[in-house]
Amino acid sequence: MKIRLSHADGRPLYVQIMDAVRSGLVRGTLRPRDPLPSVRDLSSSLRVNPRTVSQAYAALERDGVVQVRHGKGTFVAPGVRPEEKERPRLAREVARRALADASRSGLALPDLMTALRELDRDAHGDGRKEDGR
Amino acid sequence: MTDTATATLPIDLGSGPFAVTTRGLARRFGSVRALDGLDLQVPEGAVYVLVGPNGAGKSTLIRTLMGLVRYQAGAVSVLGRDPADRGAEVRSGIGYVPEDYRVGYAWMTVGRLLEHQAVYNPSWDAEYARELRARYGIDPGRKCHALSKGQSRRVQLVLALAHRPPLLLLDEPTDGLDHVVRDDTLSILSEHLADSPTTVVISTHRVYEVEPLVDHVGVLSDGRLLGQLPRDELRGGLLRYWADVPEGWKGPGELGGRVVRRSGAARAIEWTVWGDRDAVTRGLSQAGAAVREVAPLSVDEAAVALLSGRKAS
Repeated sequence: MKIRLSHADGRPLYVQIMDAVRSGLVRGTLRPRDPLPSVRDLSSSLRVNPRTVSQAYAALERDGVVQVRHGKGTFVAPGVRPEEKERPRLAREVARRALADASRSGLALPDLMTALRELDRDAHGDGRKEDGR
Repeated sequence: MTDTATATLPIDLGSGPFAVTTRGLARRFGSVRALDGLDLQVPEGAVYVLVGPNGAGKSTLIRTLMGLVRYQAGAVSVLGRDPADRGAEVRSGIGYVPEDYRVGYAWMTVGRLLEHQAVYNPSWDAEYARELRARYGIDPGRKCHALSKGQSRRVQLVLALAHRPPLLLLDEPTDGLDHVVRDDTLSILSEHLADSPTTVVISTHRVYEVEPLVDHVGVLSDGRLLGQLPRDELRGGLLRYWADVPEGWKGPGELGGRVVRRSGAARAIEWTVWGDRDAVTRGLSQAGAAVREVAPLSVDEAAVALLSGRKAS
């Protein structure tokens, strides 16, 4: 699981850790029953307070995303359905940040939508038909 | 007089349990009031960062908690004891990294120094000490007087951590360390906190470095606290508001918050306000400002806002 924390980000660190787990599920790098890093290992590699990692894992457990098995560690819950819950949730989070960014620059939703469509067309344009999807 | 009247942000952390408290703590050096009625509260298990300019009293405070500086008024409790009359007992429960670099006796080798500590300290964890020594690349054959600043700091960190004390007092712990060793020290501290229940007080100018470890913040200025609160409350309550305002805007009569710092240009203001986010946003909007962004501050930014705001007032 790759996690990169940003201290410039307005989100608290534990929320950033939660979103990183969700994004792993959506991308398929994390699957049901996979173990998550131990609190000790993750806090050490991120240089954060272990309580922050525990806080993130506890909140993910409340959301039904992970299971904490005492003495064994934390695992992705067997029943997670990333497409149904995590994907729209993550999309909302990214959209919220994009909207905040736009409003800071004095832009409104239509400006943003137009630019997003154009960028997506440029990026995927003709390639999409050719590879058959 | 104690802090409450002059603090900009809250300083009361409630009823504890606290690993460290001071009440109206005062100490003068000649005419200088190094500590001026300080009410410190460090909750058990907290990682508490002390922020403040040079001369704010951070090192004097830490040395007072160690029982190395006598206080002249007020009360102090460290791990349930008063360091003024039970200094040795208090110190046995503390891992201390002093501001000063000198370590051990000049003629002693680092290896001997560590053995020495092991003998005098019943809770010394010899295996952990070896692990830390190896991680820090400390040469046990080197004489204490021949250590560079960075090497001394590393030895001091091993001495502070290896007996797994209930309280760590770290005065500029990463000072003198290069980038890689600094980074490694933060990782060592994270692991240490995961392995041993510890209360930590860190005084540092590199707040951004320890920020991800910190859960309580105290801002110190002229021997007093300007604020003392959980990191999350600071994040939620002290916010920066960017707003577009009409030419010659006078500001709201009633804001629903306390302006800590005003800056910005004629038609675009940048205010740092302590208060409820919705109430402050409403207050600004009703006075004709178009609020474009509201964002939390890093601990560094918060300290700068508090300290410079104070100077201006």
